[in-house]
Amino acid sequence: MLNSLDPRVNRLPQINQSISPKAPLDQFGTFEVFVQPKEGKSFQHEGIVHAPNLELAYVLAKEAFTRRFTCVSLYVVDTREVFVSPMTEGNNNAYDLIPESTTSTPGNQSFEIYHLAKRGKQHVHVGTVAANNPEEAMVHAREKLNTGKIVFNVWAIATEAIRFTSEEDKELWLTLPEKKFRDASDYKGGDKLKNFLERTKINH
Amino acid sequence: MYGGGNTFEGIKTDSIATEDPTKLAEFEARIERGEKIEPADWMPQLYRKQLIRMIEQHAHSEIIGALPEGTWITRAPGFKRKMSLMAKVQDEVGHGQLLYSAAETLGKPREQMIEDLINGKSKYSNIVNYPTFTWADCCFISWLVDAGAIVNQLANAKGSYGPYCRALDRICAEESFHLKYGHHCVIYLASGTPKQRQMFQEALNRWWPPMMHFFGPSDKISAHTEVLMRWKVKMGTNDEMRNQFLDMYVPKIWELGFTIPDPKLKRVKRQVSGNTLNLIGKNLSA
Ligand SMILES: [Fe+2]
Ligand SMILES: [Fe+2]
Repeated sequence: MLNSLDPRVNRLPQINQSISPKAPLDQFGTFEVFVQPKEGKSFQHEGIVHAPNLELAYVLAKEAFTRRFTCVSLYVVDTREVFVSPMTEGNNNAYDLIPESTTSTPGNQSFEIYHLAKRGKQHVHVGTVAANNPEEAMVHAREKLNTGKIVFNVWAIATEAIRFTSEEDKELWLTLPEKKFRDASDYKGGDKLKNFLERTKINH
Repeated sequence: MYGGGNTFEGIKTDSIATEDPTKLAEFEARIERGEKIEPADWMPQLYRKQLIRMIEQHAHSEIIGALPEGTWITRAPGFKRKMSLMAKVQDEVGHGQLLYSAAETLGKPREQMIEDLINGKSKYSNIVNYPTFTWADCCFISWLVDAGAIVNQLANAKGSYGPYCRALDRICAEESFHLKYGHHCVIYLASGTPKQRQMFQEALNRWWPPMMHFFGPSDKISAHTEVLMRWKVKMGTNDEMRNQFLDMYVPKIWELGFTIPDPKLKRVKRQVSGNTLNLIGKNLSA
């Protein structure tokens, strides 16, 4: 049996096999994409890509979400690495629904914390805490990152699970300023249009 | 491109009667307040079904719509036009990806959507099935089919479903380049040789009827469309979208000295918020 990262190869009919129904869905898993809109600004959640692995997810995320000057950096993480708190609304703070942690030992793993501060907006990165697991990370975040403002949802992601943008990856965006032909401002037809209109006016 | 007019027939509103009335009231109040609906929120079955159908159709139209323009990349006149067209086609495929992601948040797997496209179960904008005989057809698409899509996409970006709105904001930002590029191409044909002008006029004649159908049939305002408009799934009637397109682009086409193959189209004076504007006649055959 052939085995490939390309799902089309795995679906190829086998020789000498009996007629059977098509294999069920075998789509790639999802990876969450975060972008940094400007230098110094926080990373925010943008959406998902499907990919066979973290590295390719990074490349696809670059293609799908940073085609223009919409960000300076991005990172991706397997969806299964994102831990989410209960969702609230109105005056209810999501932090109030997080159960107290039983252990009080300081953690030795680093977690990135994200808040949903406005329903309908994206989750935004607010800081990093040390904890032993995601549940504890949220408890620590409640003490450390809770500003008193209502938070509708909290995410925690182990820092080591994230595929960050390295210094050399930044070359990916280097050619962007040269690609002026992808910008509306590169299409100035005004003069040509004016000349045309003046010319045709004379003719009439 | 191509968030074409949607037909909303075929789905019954009966299912609303079986929804939990308290939850339904909360849901409607949230939309009324201008809040977006997010994937984890409770939503009526009809809302979910209709949005999946709409976003999925939109995604398919982006992907299939990239094909006719894609075939012109190698034949586009000059290196600059080839680069621009290639970038545009890449954008369109990217739009498809963003839209599939948005539709997936409602629970339909991407692979299922692709399969439904291939086996013919899902629809997409019919306009992308028309052949592009000459470069002028390709220019018509880049300028005017995209323009029509922008009218729809800008309206839908104010809808109620968060992930769809966010995808559309991104898409609309890229569409401004498509529109300017397309207009640029047409200005060059218009101010070129008589042969070039004739080429575009012929393309315009071919594409005008499908362009009018792109916005969908005239809506009969049924209880069904009313519900979808209240839920901000449908942001305007097909006729409103079509008229908006006509108001904006017919003058630009006339400006370039081309004719539009619809004898009922004429300049009318209309009062819009106190100003008399030159707008386009509404008694359209389409
Ligand atoms: Fe598009
Ligand atoms: Fe477009």
